[in-house]
Amino acid sequence: MEKKKVGIFSFSGCSGEQLMILDCEAQLLDIFSDLEIKTFPMAQSNNRYSELDIALLEGSITTQHQKEELQEIRKASKVLIAMGTCACFGGVQSMLLGKGGWKDRFMKVYENNEGLYREMAAFESQPCSAFVKVDHLIPGCPMDKDQFLHTLSHVLHNTKPHLYPFPVCTECKWKENDCLLNRGLPCLGPLTRGGCGAICPSHNLPCVGCWGPAETPNTTSEFKLLLEKGYSREEIIRKFRNFGGAVIADRLRKILDKIK
Amino acid sequence: MSDFQEENPFLPEPARIVRKYDLTSDVRFFQVRFVDMERALSLKYLPGQFMMFSLAGIGEAPFSISSTPSRPGLLEFCIRKVGEFTEALFDLKENAIIGIRGPYGNGFDLERIKGHDFIIVVGGLGAAPLRSLILYALDNRDNFGRIYYLYGARTPADMLFRKEFFEFIERDDLGCLLAVDHDPDGDWPCYISKVTDLFKYVKNIDVQNTYAAVCGPPVMYRFVIEKLIALGIPKNQILMTLERRMKCGVGKCGHCVVGDIYTCIDGPVFTYWDIINKKGLI
Amino acid sequence: MRVLRMNKRHLPEFLEASKQFGELWGPVKKGEVYVYEHIQDISEMSLQPQRTLLPLKKLIYPPKIKMFQYEGEKYQDTQEEVPRRVVYGVPSCDIHGLLIMDEIFLRQYRDPYYAIRRERTAILGASFCTCYPKSCLCQSMGTDFIKEGFDLYFTDLGNYYLVWVGSSLGDDLIRLKPEIFNDNISRKDLSEFVTRKSSYTQEPCNIIDMAIIPDLVELSSEHPVWEEMGEKCLECGACTMVCPTCNCYNVFDEPYLNTETGKRERYWDSCTFNGYSVVAGGHNFRESRAERLRLWYWHKLNSFGPQERPACVGCGRCVDTCPVDINVLTVSKRLLGDKTKQALSTKAKKP
Repeated sequence: MEKKKVGIFSFSGCSGEQLMILDCEAQLLDIFSDLEIKTFPMAQSNNRYSELDIALLEGSITTQHQKEELQEIRKASKVLIAMGTCACFGGVQSMLLGKGGWKDRFMKVYENNEGLYREMAAFESQPCSAFVKVDHLIPGCPMDKDQFLHTLSHVLHNTKPHLYPFPVCTECKWKENDCLLNRGLPCLGPLTRGGCGAICPSHNLPCVGCWGPAETPNTTSEFKLLLEKGYSREEIIRKFRNFGGAVIADRLRKILDKIK
Repeated sequence: MSDFQEENPFLPEPARIVRKYDLTSDVRFFQVRFVDMERALSLKYLPGQFMMFSLAGIGEAPFSISSTPSRPGLLEFCIRKVGEFTEALFDLKENAIIGIRGPYGNGFDLERIKGHDFIIVVGGLGAAPLRSLILYALDNRDNFGRIYYLYGARTPADMLFRKEFFEFIERDDLGCLLAVDHDPDGDWPCYISKVTDLFKYVKNIDVQNTYAAVCGPPVMYRFVIEKLIALGIPKNQILMTLERRMKCGVGKCGHCVVGDIYTCIDGPVFTYWDIINKKGLI
Repeated sequence: MRVLRMNKRHLPEFLEASKQFGELWGPVKKGEVYVYEHIQDISEMSLQPQRTLLPLKKLIYPPKIKMFQYEGEKYQDTQEEVPRRVVYGVPSCDIHGLLIMDEIFLRQYRDPYYAIRRERTAILGASFCTCYPKSCLCQSMGTDFIKEGFDLYFTDLGNYYLVWVGSSLGDDLIRLKPEIFNDNISRKDLSEFVTRKSSYTQEPCNIIDMAIIPDLVELSSEHPVWEEMGEKCLECGACTMVCPTCNCYNVFDEPYLNTETGKRERYWDSCTFNGYSVVAGGHNFRESRAERLRLWYWHKLNSFGPQERPACVGCGRCVDTCPVDINVLTVSKRLLGDKTKQALSTKAKKP
């Protein structure tokens, strides 16, 4: 069988997904021997590609240059996979998406460097799907090794990867944790995609939503519940938006007026 | 059931795609045979039962059997391309091996229908399970009274098993009425109407002693049932076969439940009376 | 049924001996809750029966298992070695739950994954009901006592147990330590048992009138409760995970990297999830949360399984688990409406 040409690309993020791939110790040799890895910034130099079977992207898109590169990659690739919450949903850097004041924030961070602002042509961070068609998501911050291998295997077999249809709570119960919401903690488990193994709640830490927004959660009910538990609107919105990117921004826009 | 399955009912058995061809632009006919010939020839099933198909790496999906047990050896299916599973299935060529298990479901209670007049009403892909029933009835023609076969499709191009059903029209022991909603090319030789309009041609049946079998798109049921009730056919003699999501086919995974009914083992054939009593069946 | 007497101080000794049959499992405290764990040292576990966060189903029907593997289209049974286990401290409601699960998994098309775990697990039940006073409904559901489904059952009578032997395996376990069991049950023991049983039942846990609830569920498909609860439901699936009688699962395939082999796995699914009833082509037979909740409560409070009986065993786990108070108690109260006060204030008739 001809080796599949694979490109691994990194946009704005912490490079946690590349690190996670390198952490696939038992399977790393298979990955490198069975695939023709064209680009992998963290692991090799001479990263060039023309045509790709599979493109694996991490990080969000935040400059004009990144946007154009992303579009190039899409054109060159048969299958495009977003790895990690930044690439899938925008990540923490999208937490203020749609709120306005982007330029002011940029100027504050870069000490009013107008030249840099023009040169970078930067914009508020967005997920890959804001610009190109994404075929598969591997959510997580960072993504889970097994889910990465699962997705890669499926794509190599031309079959569809399985995304868990449940939120964090489901696995949290499998781990037999006492519900943190019931203890008054601001846990985002019900709003967040499962697959992480409920790591945080298993250590008594409320879920912060790093696996990205679940597909059909009841955002309104969770919002009301946290209000009842004594959290302020602002606190709740901040928590929801932390890892929620464009998806949660959109959901909140639709429901906020209706929540008293 | 084979020994194989008695040990583990979830384990698919190898079967070969013997033949396939397109019935319409998105519906394909598949002939499938167990690789084990003995198993292929000894398989017993009823019209209305279904098999679980398995494709490694993709999963499983249920499909109604379209062939009749009165012609053993080959299993036939007509399958519409609607999702990931069927897309992969359509990519397979003749001689490809797939996994199958079954037959599952209650099927039509042929003993009960025996000796009665019989109306089969089909809409679109509803021909998948009901072709099995009409072929069975014709192969055992003496067991039934008067038989009507009413089939409605959107256009001539959407009509499944057209050639086979045209041959039915020639038979004098069957009232085969074929209708299309639209006839864009203007060369359709049969009725241009809704399937419900065909009931006016149904004559000389003993309604109290008539069974009806219905399968089609969800919107069709209500109108067809109205017609059957108006004819005077008792509710518990109107049989319908239903579709649900299934992961196991054997009453375990829960996805097909309606109330306390498992569509996979208590159905998929229900009477209209069951349906009135079980909210949510249609 | 064979009934024996055992002094309480012999329990650790007996449990230690039971390890000859297999792994010993029992309730262990984890934070505020109990969970069944593999016990090395008896002192780790609670000798009192406890309601664990996940019911016994977690050992008989684990949350996620490999079913079999495939190579191309060749499917091979790869039933993994299932250890023999002795589980101590199982409350009667959990055993009732398991009997209902048996109806699903051991009926026609016997589920081999469930069956082998069921066969290899010795169940040592323990009374009396562990009634979490706030959430337990066992008396309403008639699950505070049990007559079958266990291997041994320990009835606590102060400083000794009456031990009910429910199976030949249970009898074999007794034979591991015959000297600590006494066959002679005196009239005094029996009267002690009767006194305990009746004094215990005078302290009712939550009572809902199960003589009427199933009918109310049947007649209330248009009741506003479903929409109300549907609006609140977080779709987290927790109620279904902790319920002793929730049997739903989902299946997926896991191919191995760049080979033709892979495995088919299954994991607990929930009818409260949006995609639960979606068929190929996208039609969703239960699009709203309200419809999905109605299905769950139909099963728990009206009828479920081949015996068409309510599947709720009154363990109260959903009561303690749901963050937005959707549970058998709140739903029942809402359905009872004005009758609630009356039904809750007087001890209602058992079903």
